[in-house]
Amino acid sequence: MTLSRLVFRSMRKNVKQYYLYFFALIFSVTLCFSFTTLQYNPSVVEALKLSGTASAGFSAASYILYVIITLFVLYASQLFMKRRSKEIGLYQLIGMTKGLVVRLIALENIVLFILAVGIGMILGFLSSRLFAMVLMKMLEIDLVIRLSFSQEAFKQSVIIFAILLVVIILQLGWMVRRVSLLSLFSATKQADERVKRFSIFQSVMGLVGLLLIAFGYYQSTELFNVEKSSLFKSLFLHMIVILGSTMLGTFLFFRYSVSLIMNMIRAKKSGHLKVTDVMAVTPIMHRMKGNSKSLTLITLLTGLAVGIMSLSYISYYSSGTSARQVSPYDYILLNNQGTEFIEELQHAGIEFEQDTYQISNVMLDISELVSGQLQEFTLNAAESETTVVPLSDFQQIEPNVKLENGDAIITSYVNVLAEVLPIQAGRDIIVNAGETEVSLYIKDIREDNLLSSRVAYGSPILIVTDEMFEKIQLEKNEEPEFTSQIGIDLVDKQDTEKAEEIYKSLADERSILMEENDQSFIQRSYEEVRKANITSLGLTIFVTAFLGLAFLLTTGSILYFKQMAEAEDERESYKILRKIGFSTNDLMKGIYAKQAFNFGVPLAIGLLHSYFAVKSGWFLFGSELAAPLVITMTLYVIMYGVFAILSIQYYKKVVRESL
Amino acid sequence: MSVLVGRKIRKVYGKKSTAQEVLKGIDIEVGKGEFVGIMGPSGSGKTTLLNVLCSIDHPTEGVIEINGQSLRGMKEKELAKFRREQLGFIFQDYNLLDTLTVKENILLPFSISKQPRAVAESRLKELVALLGISDILNKYPNEISGGQKQRTSAARALITNPALVFADEPTGALDSKSATALLTNLEKINQQKSATIMMVTHDSVAASFCSRVLFLKDGAIYTELYKGDKTRQQFFQQIMSTQSVLGGDGYDA
Repeated sequence: MTLSRLVFRSMRKNVKQYYLYFFALIFSVTLCFSFTTLQYNPSVVEALKLSGTASAGFSAASYILYVIITLFVLYASQLFMKRRSKEIGLYQLIGMTKGLVVRLIALENIVLFILAVGIGMILGFLSSRLFAMVLMKMLEIDLVIRLSFSQEAFKQSVIIFAILLVVIILQLGWMVRRVSLLSLFSATKQADERVKRFSIFQSVMGLVGLLLIAFGYYQSTELFNVEKSSLFKSLFLHMIVILGSTMLGTFLFFRYSVSLIMNMIRAKKSGHLKVTDVMAVTPIMHRMKGNSKSLTLITLLTGLAVGIMSLSYISYYSSGTSARQVSPYDYILLNNQGTEFIEELQHAGIEFEQDTYQISNVMLDISELVSGQLQEFTLNAAESETTVVPLSDFQQIEPNVKLENGDAIITSYVNVLAEVLPIQAGRDIIVNAGETEVSLYIKDIREDNLLSSRVAYGSPILIVTDEMFEKIQLEKNEEPEFTSQIGIDLVDKQDTEKAEEIYKSLADERSILMEENDQSFIQRSYEEVRKANITSLGLTIFVTAFLGLAFLLTTGSILYFKQMAEAEDERESYKILRKIGFSTNDLMKGIYAKQAFNFGVPLAIGLLHSYFAVKSGWFLFGSELAAPLVITMTLYVIMYGVFAILSIQYYKKVVRESL
Repeated sequence: MSVLVGRKIRKVYGKKSTAQEVLKGIDIEVGKGEFVGIMGPSGSGKTTLLNVLCSIDHPTEGVIEINGQSLRGMKEKELAKFRREQLGFIFQDYNLLDTLTVKENILLPFSISKQPRAVAESRLKELVALLGISDILNKYPNEISGGQKQRTSAARALITNPALVFADEPTGALDSKSATALLTNLEKINQQKSATIMMVTHDSVAASFCSRVLFLKDGAIYTELYKGDKTRQQFFQQIMSTQSVLGGDGYDA
C-alpha cells in the first residue's frame, strides 16, 4: 500500500475523527474569506468613501481576525493530534520511521486544507453578501450589493492558510520527533491532574484570586472619579493596574478558587456525594489544572469581545440621542432667522409642533453645588457663562414644573459632566447678570435638553421664573449671541424627507454671522446630525460586531471541542455508573450541572468583566448605557447557549451509548 | 427460596441471516446464600449470561425473576433503580471512578437514593473492616494496589445489601495472592452475611471457593458441580477434571 493510499483510506475510515477539525478549518476560511471579500468589494468600497477611516479600520480588523483564526486553528489541530496520538504511536510501533509518519500527517493536512479552503471560500463568498447587506443596513444606505470575486481577497486568504499549514506541519513534525513512543500512547491522559491533597498554598491563592478580581472591579468604578484617583497618578497606570489585577485574578480563580470552593463543598459531604457531585464537581476539580488556562483565556476573550461590542453599540445606539443633544428638536431656528421654514411647512401641508424660547445668559459659579472634597478641583473653572431660559418657556415641554421667585432649576446636566462632577440641588448659588449679583435657590437638577448645542455649548441651562428672567435681561449691558430659539417637531415622521429638503433649501436664510470669528453658522437638523453619526459609527460597529462574532464562534467552538473530548474521556465512567444503577436521567442531571459550570462560569465572569469595563467609561462613547449593553449581552448569551446545547446533546449521545 | 430464577433464556445476536445463538435456552436457579460460579471456555456465553441475568442486556426469549420480580417489561429507569437497589457488581477491571476517593466510590450507590447518612456510615464501617480497607478510605484509586481496588469494588457492590451480587472475573487482573485474599473475603461475606453471589470465572482456583459451579458449553449448561462436604482442594480437583472433559486445556485464552 502506498503512502497516499494509506492516507486516503485512513481518512475515509476515520471521518468521525476528522470532521471536527475539518469543520473548524472550513469555518475559519469562511470567516476570513468573507471578511476580505467584503473589504475589497467595489460597491462596499464606494459606499465607505464617505467615512474616511474605512479602509484603515477594515485592514486593522482583518489583522485581528487573522490572529484569532491562527490561534483557533492551531488549537484545533493540537486537540486533533492529541486524540490521534495512539494511531501515530501504532504506525511507529509497526516500524514506520518518524520521517514517514510526519510525511503521512503532512499529506493528510495538505488534503484537509485544500478541501477546507475550497469549501470555505465558496461559503465565505456567499456569506459576504449577507454581511454586506447587514453593513449597508447599518449605514442606512440603499444599495444593491453586487457579488464580485476579488482576486486580492483570494490571494490574501490563500497566503494566510498556506502559512498556517506550514506552521502546523512544522509543529506536528516537531511533536512526532520529540516525543517517545511510550508518551504517545498516554498523551490523552497528560492534561489530567492526578488528584492531590489540598494544600494551604492552593487555598491562599484561591482567596487571592477572588480578592484581585474584586479589587479590579472596585478600582474600575473609581477610574474616572476625580475625588479618589489620587491613588494612581496617571489614568494609564490606573488602567494597567485594573487590567492586570482582573486578568491575574481570573487565572487564579480558575486555577485555585474553583477547586477551593468545590473542595469545601466536597469536604462537607465527607464521602456522601450526590449524583451532581459525582458527575460535575469531582470531574471539574480533577480537570481544573488542565482547563484553567483555556477557561481563563475564554473568559478574558468573552469580556473583551462583549466590552468592545457594547461600547461600539453604545455609540451607534446613541447616534440618535447624541444628535438630540446637538438638535433637541427636529428643526431649530435661531434668532428668528429663516422663519420662512414654518410658512413653507404649512404650505406643504406638513403637520408640526413648535416651541419658542427666549434666551439670555448669566455668569454662574457651579462649584458651589459640587459636593465637599471635589470643590478644590473645580476652583479654576469656577465661573462660566450659562444660558438662562424663563420658566414659562420651559413649561412648554414640562407643564408641571412650578417655581417660586428666587428659585431656579438646572437642566441639561448630562454626559461626562454629570458623571465626573455630580452636583446636588437644595443649595443657593450666586449668579452675575451684568453688574448685579442675584442669589438663587437651586430646587432641582434635571436632564431635559431644550436648546441647540450651539447655544448652550453643552453646559447646563438655568431655568428661572419669568420675573427673574426679565430682571436679568434688564441688568445685562450687552446682548447675548443668541436671543431666541424656535424648536419644531414633525408630527408625522414620514414627512421627514420633504421637511429635510425645505430646511436645506433655506440654509442661506438661516445662517447667522458670528461676531467672534466672523464666520456664519448654520444650524443642522436632527436628521442631518444623526445620519452623519451613523456613517462614521456604522462601520465601527460592523467591524467590531464581526470581530465579536469571530471571538464568540471560536471560543464557543473551543469549549464545545473540549467538552466533546471530555465526554469521550468519561465514557468509561458513565458505563460504570449506568451498570451499577444510574439511569440516563440521573446522569444527565449531573451533565447539566457540569455544562452550566463549563459554559456558564466563563460567560458570567466574562460578562461581569465587560460590565465593569463598560461602566467605567461608557459616557465617553455615548449617552445610552442600559439598552445597548443589555441587548449586546443577551445576544451573546443566546449564541453562546447554542454551543452549550450542542455540547449537552453530545453528552446525551455518549451517555445513551454507554451501556 | 430462590433469589434468582431464569427460564429458557435465549439470546440471539445479529439479524436473521447472520444470527448467532449465544444462549440456547438456559434454565438457572440460585438460592439465597449460595455462592455460584459459572465456568466455561471462551465463547461459551458466560459473560452474555451474566449480562442478561443482571439486566444490563436483554434476553431474546425467556423469563428472569430476581427476588420474585420479573425483569421483563421494566423501563430503563425502573431497571436502573432495580440494579441500584437489588444488585451489586464487581468487575474484572475494578470499575472505580478515578476522581472519587475510596470512601466516595463505596458510597456511590447512595448518591441518588435517600439513605440516612448514619445508616450508610455504619454499613460502610462494617464492610471496610471485613474487607480490610479501613485505612485507605481517603485515598484515590490511583494510589492503591489492584487488590485494594478490587476490595473497594466489592465493598461498593455490597453496601446496599443487595439481593444478589454479580462478579465478572473479579480475580482476572489480580496476582494470585491478592486473588486469594479477595476470594477468602467473598467467601467470608457469603457465609457470615449470607450474601448471594454469582461469579463468572475461568480460574479453577477461584471457582473452588464457590458452593456450586455451573459449566457452560456452546450456550447451554453442560453440567454442574456441588461442593457439598468436600474440601476446597478436592473440589478444585473435581473442577479441573470436569474442565478437561469439557475440552480445552484447563485454561482458555
